[in-house]
Amino acid sequence: MAVATSLTVTTPKKLSSLSSPTLHSLFFSKALSFSPSSSSFLSLRKTLLLSPSHHTRTRRRSFTLSASANPHNYDFDLFTIGAGSGGVRASRFAANYGASVAICELPFSTISSDVTGGVGGTCVLRGCVPKKLLVYSSKYSHEFEESNGFGWKYESEPKHDWSTLIANKNAELQRLTGIYKNILKNSNVQLIEGRGKIVDPHTVDVDGKLYTARHILVSVGGRPFIPDIPGSEHAIDSDAALDLPSKPEKIAIVGGGYIALEFAGIFNGLKSDVHVFIRQKKVLRGFDEEIRDFVGEQMALRGIEFHTEESPQAIVKSADGSLSLKTNKGTVEGFSHIMFATGRKPNTKNIGLESVGVKIDKKGAIEVNEYSQSSVPSIWAVGDVTDRINLTPVALMEGVALAKTLFLNEPTKPDYSYVPSAVFSQPPIGQVGLTEEQAVEQYGDVDIFTSNFRPLKATLSGLPDRTFMKLIVCAKTNKVLGLHMCGEDSPEITQGFAVAIKAGLTKGDFDATVGIHPTAAEEFVTMRTPTRKIRKTNPSEGRSESEVKAVAGT
Amino acid sequence: MARKMLIDGEPAAALEEEVTDFDFDLFVIGAGSGGVRASRFSANFGAKVGICELPYHPISSETIGGVGGTCVIRGCVPKKILVYGASFGGDLEDARNYGWELSEKIDFNWKKLLQKKTDEINRLNGIYKRLLSNAGVKLFEGEGKVVGPHEVEVTQLDGTKLSYSAKHILIATGGRAHLPDIPGKELGITSDEALSLEELPKRVVILGGGYIAVEFASIWQGMGSTVNLVFRKELPLRGFDDEMRAVVARNLEGRGINLHPRTNLTQLIKTEDGIKAVTDHGEELMADVVLFATGRVPNTKRLNLEAVGVELDSNGAIKVNEYSRTNIPSIWAVGDVTDRMNLTPVALMEGTCFAKTVFGAQESKPDYSNIPYAVFSIPPLSVVGLSEEQAIEQANGDVLVFTSTFNPMKNTISGRQEKTVMKLVVDAETDKVLGASMCGPDAPEIMQGIAVALKCGATKAQFDSTVGIHPSSAEEFVTMRSVTRTVAAAKPRTSL
Repeated sequence: MAVATSLTVTTPKKLSSLSSPTLHSLFFSKALSFSPSSSSFLSLRKTLLLSPSHHTRTRRRSFTLSASANPHNYDFDLFTIGAGSGGVRASRFAANYGASVAICELPFSTISSDVTGGVGGTCVLRGCVPKKLLVYSSKYSHEFEESNGFGWKYESEPKHDWSTLIANKNAELQRLTGIYKNILKNSNVQLIEGRGKIVDPHTVDVDGKLYTARHILVSVGGRPFIPDIPGSEHAIDSDAALDLPSKPEKIAIVGGGYIALEFAGIFNGLKSDVHVFIRQKKVLRGFDEEIRDFVGEQMALRGIEFHTEESPQAIVKSADGSLSLKTNKGTVEGFSHIMFATGRKPNTKNIGLESVGVKIDKKGAIEVNEYSQSSVPSIWAVGDVTDRINLTPVALMEGVALAKTLFLNEPTKPDYSYVPSAVFSQPPIGQVGLTEEQAVEQYGDVDIFTSNFRPLKATLSGLPDRTFMKLIVCAKTNKVLGLHMCGEDSPEITQGFAVAIKAGLTKGDFDATVGIHPTAAEEFVTMRTPTRKIRKTNPSEGRSESEVKAVAGT
Repeated sequence: MARKMLIDGEPAAALEEEVTDFDFDLFVIGAGSGGVRASRFSANFGAKVGICELPYHPISSETIGGVGGTCVIRGCVPKKILVYGASFGGDLEDARNYGWELSEKIDFNWKKLLQKKTDEINRLNGIYKRLLSNAGVKLFEGEGKVVGPHEVEVTQLDGTKLSYSAKHILIATGGRAHLPDIPGKELGITSDEALSLEELPKRVVILGGGYIAVEFASIWQGMGSTVNLVFRKELPLRGFDDEMRAVVARNLEGRGINLHPRTNLTQLIKTEDGIKAVTDHGEELMADVVLFATGRVPNTKRLNLEAVGVELDSNGAIKVNEYSRTNIPSIWAVGDVTDRMNLTPVALMEGTCFAKTVFGAQESKPDYSNIPYAVFSIPPLSVVGLSEEQAIEQANGDVLVFTSTFNPMKNTISGRQEKTVMKLVVDAETDKVLGASMCGPDAPEIMQGIAVALKCGATKAQFDSTVGIHPSSAEEFVTMRSVTRTVAAAKPRTSL
């Protein structure tokens, strides 16, 4: 066993030289024989979570006890299953706080499956990073067009070579997965390649070898989900779309969420013929209604064809190899690719969760409390596998909070308020806080400030690009409740404002800030007159959904 | 009109009773950012407002200006348009590793860009005129002079003179580029001409290390010119955070600009081959264009201010109190002509405060704390609050410096060797973020939101509690976990 390499910290690991079955039985017998102490530890934990200040002390005592006179000779203090954003972060921090940590991860592949993954996880290998690299590449076609308006001329139309992009992208992913491995190594986290499966509340099986741990962290993330319709085997998901052997000539993208829009932008920028099929009238359910309208319009202007209120029913492959998509409204033919961006599902199958009694919700996500603890006290979960807010920085936050809770005697809850996020569509979206619809529902009286303008660059390029910005302000307290933007640089612009909104700043504070001229961002501090004021005539009464919408539409 | 006058704490009644029958409540000389803003807002408060401005032309002189002022016609806007145009130069290089096959021959047509820039400026000039007329402000074309505390004279294009009385006079005539007094200086140009050159110069020598010098260096380099940047100090951008100055210098050099630190030009000589610029080290730099970016001076010479006794400082700037009022109670001044902080949004703030104070019955002082601003070099620099040096000087206790130097994601594939640098300066005692700076793509856009946070005294803990937007550059500002260095305060601590 390779465990011996990281025997520098805390708990005794003498057992690591023993073969796995022995280890397993040894642990088990001891656990049984010391069950009173074990249960008292568990009960301590429960109370601990109720009142942090009190329990920090209690807990330290319990830990000191368990560290020195602990009857369980666990291999590790923490065993993490899944080395994505959340798992790596939690493991590194836990190790920094003195814990002995191991982490297991599936072998690297650009396409995920039950047997492939890779250190770095979705974000680095199949999500944020490769996606953004493709966005960068695809954005150039728009920039070439813009550049014409600024005096640049190309003897021949710039052509894109898909294989160069994919090769360079994959080289970068290899580099990053290497970096992540180094990060783990430098933090003294032992990396075990293989598929982790929970055997009991303190034991993980990785491809036949058993490892015991005081705590088990499940951070196995999620995977794209393709609905089961006839011909769905011909469809690709986002994993595959990031690593296609050749560029799609004509692609159908099914779905109206952020992944669908990001890929629509990517392929459109690379000059594929792009059709987006959405079930609803608008894209991006859950986003601010005005943003939904605006981004749809802007993307359509760039040449993406939206098929609204169309649900896929079947995919048919014709003799020439092309695909047609049958929907409730008809059939569109001639696709080289059909991509489903129809949601993601937590990777909770076949990792032993049911067998040890970890509760899973209807969608297959691990149910956790606000400290990321599952129904089994020694088993914890962070990141997409818990389906809270599925964003890398949120998984990082959950990972840090967990490491602090478990190994720093600082019970820490992740704070989900005012988490900013972005959609890297073209143009991109940045947002933080409430949508107008949410704000009206929660606060009743809100002032809406909007700005819809043609950016300086577009006046020169002659392209129909516009930028939309929106602030939602609580009429009573003047607090900024939400900020939304769609247009160039939105994600970068939103971050700083997120700090201000998280800090609870008011519209007055925004107004008191001097603009940076000439930027797009300065619009956010120069919005003087509300576009509309939404007032509830009778705020004490319950509001019906339709009432809210009627007011919001004014 | 029911307006409350502010007379340094004295009751407003005295002045209002004194004179009753003015042509205007307010007459503004100069229709740039500050003047237009003050006029419009004053008119909105119910004042009768006149404004005068010189005839329009891209290149300013004693008798040429144009509605919109420096920002719109000869500053921020045309400059940014050229920066956009120049940025494509680097972008095209970056595109190749992203799979784009570009023809060997890529042509940049300066004349086309110049024409489109001029069209845009003309359009904006028109918009500003409409803004004024929609606000009910009467615009006069001609040169304005102060004749008395309540009297202005406008010399129109045809030489006829108009004379108007006004209860208040606002001077918002801005500033103009200043040429150093060296032999051959007439061979050099200022930023006005640089924004409107007939031909794109192949070889440029720029004298100056300020933001204008640096921006033009980036513009010309991006368009393919050979650029020599000559400045007196060790690093460009005096007054900015030293670490960031070094970053900018490194980036300019990395992009191919030749830097000549601790150097001055002693003379310009016309030759067959172009202009020979001689440095104080005896070096000779050949150029098609020599740009003097050696500072700007307030436009106060032809306003007849001495005659009415308006005090100027040694730089020729109008001295004003914190309400933008001169020593003559009925004469006020905003914007670059007062040489406070020479930025468009600051002139706007001063104009707004003036209108509120004089016509809005709301005494308002412009607030100069935590004003963010940007240098549109390629890549740009943006800052808000204190530099590390200022923080050390002003803080009572230790100063914590957090820095992050990283390769932006775009460069991982493009192969561009250019690091983005970000910096937060924090008061160790209060945890307040005293200053933020960034040099890298999108820095000005990123800094605006950070400025709101700083303006309201945000702490480092509040930055840390904000979740990042991934993947962005901006997220670095909320993920700076470990302090890069702690600097002991310069001030001795006292227990008083």
